[in-house]
Amino acid sequence: MTVRSAIVLAAGEGKRLRPLTEHRPKPMLPAATEPILAHVFDALIAAGISELTVVVGYGRNRVQSQFGPTYRDVPVAYVTQEKQLGSGHALAAAESTVSGSTLVVNGDQLVDRRIVEDVIDAHGETDDAAATIGTIQHRDVSEYGGVLLEPDDAGVSSRRVTEIVENPTDDRSYLLNAGVYALETRAFDTVRSANSRGGEHSLVDGLTALIDGDEPVRGVRSKGIWIDATYPWDLLEVADALLESDGGVESTTAASARIHERATIRGPVVIADDCVVGPGAVIGPNVCLGENVTVGSNVVCEHSVVDADTRIGPNATLVDCVTGRGVRIGAGSTVVGGPGDVHVGDRIHRNEGLGALIADRVRDGGGVTYAPGTIVGSNAVIGPGTTVSGTIDSETEVRS
Amino acid sequence: MCGIVGYVGSNDAIDVLLNGLSGLEYRGYDSAGVALANGTLAVHKREGELSALESALPTEQLRGHSIGIGHTRWSTHGPPSNLNAHPHTDGEGRVAVVHNGIIENYQSLRDELTADGVTFQSETDTEVVPHLIARALEEGMAPETAFRAAIDRIEGSYAVAAVFAGSETIHAARQASPLVLGIGDDGYYLASDAPAFIEYTDRVVYLEDGEFARLSPEAVVVTDSSGTVVEPSVETIEWDAEDAGKSGYDHYMLKEIHEQPTALRQCLRGRVDELTGTVTLEELDALESSSPVQFVACGTSYHAALFGATLLRDRGVPAQSFLASEYSTDRIPVDPSTLVVGVTQSGETADTMRALREANRAGAETVAVTNTVGSSAARECDHALYIRAGPEIGVAATKTFASQQVALTLLACRLSNGSCHGVIRALRDVPDQVQTVLDTSQATEIAAEYAESDAFFFIGRGYQYPVALEGALKLKEISYRHAEGFAAGELKHGPLALVTEETPVFALVTGDDEQARKTVSNVKEVEARDAPVVAVTDGRTDVERYADHVLEVPASNEIGAAVTANVQLQLLAYWVAHRLGRSIDKPRHLAKSVTVE
Repeated sequence: MTVRSAIVLAAGEGKRLRPLTEHRPKPMLPAATEPILAHVFDALIAAGISELTVVVGYGRNRVQSQFGPTYRDVPVAYVTQEKQLGSGHALAAAESTVSGSTLVVNGDQLVDRRIVEDVIDAHGETDDAAATIGTIQHRDVSEYGGVLLEPDDAGVSSRRVTEIVENPTDDRSYLLNAGVYALETRAFDTVRSANSRGGEHSLVDGLTALIDGDEPVRGVRSKGIWIDATYPWDLLEVADALLESDGGVESTTAASARIHERATIRGPVVIADDCVVGPGAVIGPNVCLGENVTVGSNVVCEHSVVDADTRIGPNATLVDCVTGRGVRIGAGSTVVGGPGDVHVGDRIHRNEGLGALIADRVRDGGGVTYAPGTIVGSNAVIGPGTTVSGTIDSETEVRS
Repeated sequence: MCGIVGYVGSNDAIDVLLNGLSGLEYRGYDSAGVALANGTLAVHKREGELSALESALPTEQLRGHSIGIGHTRWSTHGPPSNLNAHPHTDGEGRVAVVHNGIIENYQSLRDELTADGVTFQSETDTEVVPHLIARALEEGMAPETAFRAAIDRIEGSYAVAAVFAGSETIHAARQASPLVLGIGDDGYYLASDAPAFIEYTDRVVYLEDGEFARLSPEAVVVTDSSGTVVEPSVETIEWDAEDAGKSGYDHYMLKEIHEQPTALRQCLRGRVDELTGTVTLEELDALESSSPVQFVACGTSYHAALFGATLLRDRGVPAQSFLASEYSTDRIPVDPSTLVVGVTQSGETADTMRALREANRAGAETVAVTNTVGSSAARECDHALYIRAGPEIGVAATKTFASQQVALTLLACRLSNGSCHGVIRALRDVPDQVQTVLDTSQATEIAAEYAESDAFFFIGRGYQYPVALEGALKLKEISYRHAEGFAAGELKHGPLALVTEETPVFALVTGDDEQARKTVSNVKEVEARDAPVVAVTDGRTDVERYADHVLEVPASNEIGAAVTANVQLQLLAYWVAHRLGRSIDKPRHLAKSVTVE
């Protein structure tokens, strides 16, 4: 039976992506210029899914108002998970909206259509699988879920899963759980009744319970693209990967954008609707300007993700920069570019390729210099002529 | 302000009609009914919302009927009741009629028919129509001739559809009330508004005033008043049926409040150029006159019109706004140099249409500022400026008000001289400022604190005066609480006597100019009477010192502040109504589009 419906899990904040997630959940962060969740929807629709159910929770207004009741002519239903009690709990909330075989997909990680198609095809190839998991080969498997498969079955693309291990540390040959599952109705029952750990119901625990109960859970290894942003500066790599890969994002300038004839665009770049680029500006390579971004005269912007409604004042320079929405970069401010050490809580991430991360609605008075690796929390105000470094909390004011 | 639907085709008519009526419920909902024609007529109607009709219908018995008409009613003549609900029939059950509009000469027709021995079942104006048709049938006329003869006799506004026992044809006519036909693969449709059948077809014909339509299983034939066949122009409409879904919100109103950033982007797209400081409104390319400007509008649209007139006056253009219902009877001087701008979301508001028709007659150039492509206002005015807000289902206007504010700002730029650079810059920042309010508003908490208050007062000056009026209207409409908006300076000339410690005063104080400072003084007057004060402010004055609570808006120019302050008051009204358990999307006694005067 072909899978036609999908449940997309988009209720979690993604705390490690703060300060960008202060007003919206991780699935709504920009991958190039569109939200991660839009890319997930695109992959699902390209793979033939014609019914979407989205589990929303944290920042759900943002998700609902962005996508509305249909996305690319596919009906979208919303189910609210009031408390974030794990993926299994989220699934239980959505269960009543679907019947028969259903795809379950994480809404906060980029997957391409090939992974989705591989899971749908593999699940359809065998008639006994209670669940089929999409997996890929990935070097960072220890940071995610590891899946162990039986040796090759003859003739079919999937193999039985013997074990699923969160954050595996041993050296067995794990495949990474890509967060794309096809589930039969009976798998839902097991996921719902699986014991909770610390009050959280995890989908993976449910799948483990299925395996322990000798229900066939199969895994398929896919060669499709899978990208996760763990930290906010990963949005730069996500954009790079999308700009450089087939089936990613094409270098484009929206028809409604206004680019001054004396501006220079060095591809690949994505310039979304309603953007304005002033004379003498040099944009690119590897720049994504979200909806309604304004770039002043003589701005230099390279390798940056600039989210919607941001204004960059004249003569500013942005290198390796990630901004949130509605940021004001003043005239002549400089984000000098990475690499730099990034401080998050008491952890230091050394030599990250981040110029600066400037969260939603930061106001910079102009002539500000951002040392490599600077993080500025949302609504912070930075006075003219200041040099900033390290981490600046949300809602604070910095004066020189 | 009713809605009518009709269907002829190969599907079960009852399903199409019920779907259609639910798509029109925003037009009124105190009773609903259907008539199916299959040899004999089966008529079912019920007082109350559509669900009351649905549960009373013998749906299975009605299967297999492929011709029918339906109606959802909002009372103008006679209270809501089963008898007053449409469709109406003649005594013998030969013809059933649905009607939207007002038959002005119904009393004389009723007297005439009563003298003839006709017994009326209802108190409605509509019922004269089936009896007129029946009398013509008795005289030996064929159904179509009888229908035309009846329509000839009635005066006023109408969209009428009739089905006959033993006939497979729907006859319809239009005069000054909206009527649109749908051309589908599985049949033909008619309705007051396209959402009634848009899930079946997006190909439509807008019937003109005075035209008749005949819908049969084979064809749709449109004729003019003399019976000559007219080749109708078939248009394709763009809104899709799913737009009507609530997308996870409890109410359309909350969904529409949250859609405002997107709606405003759509309103601005392609119309402003910050590089050159120019506003381009293609629809108004042929617009010639520029002043004086008279706005005509009703309700929320009138508040937008007040805002638009203030903007124009600020830019040196003489402008005034009028309540449309007063304008047409008020002998306002109009001459050919006057530009009359009608602001109407639906484009069908009867009072506004009447005023615009008066202006057309007086030779003024007219502009409709509307959300509805192909609406009466758009077609009858010389020009139409679309606000592009997308469909709005909640009866209380929210996103369309914000889009009207922005569209009228664009119009003001178009009509005045001088640079628009600053205005364009401010407008492009508005969608994100609205998003900021949506992300951070404390309106839920403030609603919880004050929901049970005796009355609510809203005060503002200048650009915030229309917002004060609109904030009060929104609260009245959906919470049924007493609320009034005042120009801040007027408070001490009377209304202050009403202010007590039980009446919260919402003060709109943005910017730091003289107007804002004067409003702060008015806030002090209120505070001295122990009234709770909620300041809606960008923090640029010290009003917070005198306020019990603050609803914060981003600092911006006066246009952005008027949009964002209003969003705070929309949320306040929504959450007050929510706490009080009101029927938010369909408040009592109100309809979305008021198509009677």
